[in-house]
Amino acid sequence: MITQEKYRTRVKELLASNSVKMVIGYKQGSTADRRRPLFVRSFEEADELVLDSNCIGNLAGYLVTEGLLSDEKRVGIFLRPEGIRSINILAAESQLNPEQIIIFGFDTSGREVKALQGEQAEDFSGLIDSLKEKPPEKSSDALLYRIDQMNTEERFAFWKDEFSRCIKCYACRQACPMCYCRRCIVDSNQPQWINTSSHTLGNFEWNIVRAFHLAGRCVGCGNCDRACPVNIPLRFINARMAQEVFESFDHYAGTSQTQEPVLASFNKDDSETFIL
Amino acid sequence: MSEPFEPKIIAFVCTYCTYAGADLAGTSRLKYAPNVRIVRLPCTGRISPMFLLKALQKGADGVLVSGCHPGDCHFTHGNYHARRRWMVFRSLLDFLGISPERVKFSWISAAEGGKFADLINSVTEDIRKLGPFDQYKELIRETETPATL
Ligand code: SF4
Ligand code: SF4
Repeated sequence: MITQEKYRTRVKELLASNSVKMVIGYKQGSTADRRRPLFVRSFEEADELVLDSNCIGNLAGYLVTEGLLSDEKRVGIFLRPEGIRSINILAAESQLNPEQIIIFGFDTSGREVKALQGEQAEDFSGLIDSLKEKPPEKSSDALLYRIDQMNTEERFAFWKDEFSRCIKCYACRQACPMCYCRRCIVDSNQPQWINTSSHTLGNFEWNIVRAFHLAGRCVGCGNCDRACPVNIPLRFINARMAQEVFESFDHYAGTSQTQEPVLASFNKDDSETFIL
Repeated sequence: MSEPFEPKIIAFVCTYCTYAGADLAGTSRLKYAPNVRIVRLPCTGRISPMFLLKALQKGADGVLVSGCHPGDCHFTHGNYHARRRWMVFRSLLDFLGISPERVKFSWISAAEGGKFADLINSVTEDIRKLGPFDQYKELIRETETPATL
């Protein structure tokens, strides 16, 4: 509550002084524990801002809405640490100018909300570095454990079963702040790389491509996983990719605005064991 | 009796090294398994994972990707980029249950005609042992059956 009040006041200050044209935050959603995005342009709207432990969506994707930042005015946004990492990646990939973004950083533990110190993406570099240093938590998820124990055939059967439910709605893509391509590879039809019908084959291909394009870019915000209407555990695939780039290339997505995209760079000494 | 299984393998190779190596194998009259269809590309850096998926989608039992040794790339670093991509892609396929044994990678220079012939033989044998990629073929068949309401 204290953080919420503090931030509401700060949002009003920034609006009053014309320092930002808009602030993207959260408001009450359709049920008591849901939050939806709120685009604040007035004091009245600022009073609708909600900040609590239910504010889980990563809002960073709204920043790359076509034309939003092209007038070079500033925009404020409520972000968790993952969201701040998204800003760094978007900046590193030349999708936005981080100086235009005023961050209202927050994090939660349990129901507790705490404000993060800083306003510009680079102010949080210490925090993000400390996240990188923390060994990635061994997930205690029973399902993930089961997948890890499976052999190749069982894994194929498991994912086949999962992907057979995919309806190719592309909600996972739409919800992802890192999926900003105007023309996604699944929308291209010359050549058509991926079957468009929602057969399991095309679903497999779609999910392979989605995960691959996010390898080293995914910040683990969980937007895709929550958006999937058929509950495919996309988080496991993303996490596996994050683990791979971390172990192989010491890459933790979104540490800074100058970080080289991991699959657009290389090291002559990258070591592998499988090339014949 | 059903015919013995002959694997169908698609090889994506770069024109400057591995394709030249394959050429050398040919001009040296080296004999190797006829199971490989070669697709020539300018550089391993041009070999998108989409190509590999496409090959499997069209019924390949195995895929081989090959190019210049590190340091020898005609475009100086296309193969370094490719190597990173393959590392990540392989681990993704593995996690999703597509055996990395079906997707092979190698470095073969223009001078290694012998290595090319040997590699094709050994890759063909490996895939033959794995058998047809039935799991994937089943998915392909599903796309071919008319929809029912
Ligand atoms: S892939 Fe999913 S978890 Fe990763 S950044 Fe995109 S929405 Fe977030
Ligand atoms: S959100 Fe789920 S159902 Fe929709 S395309 Fe993505 S994986 Fe498929």
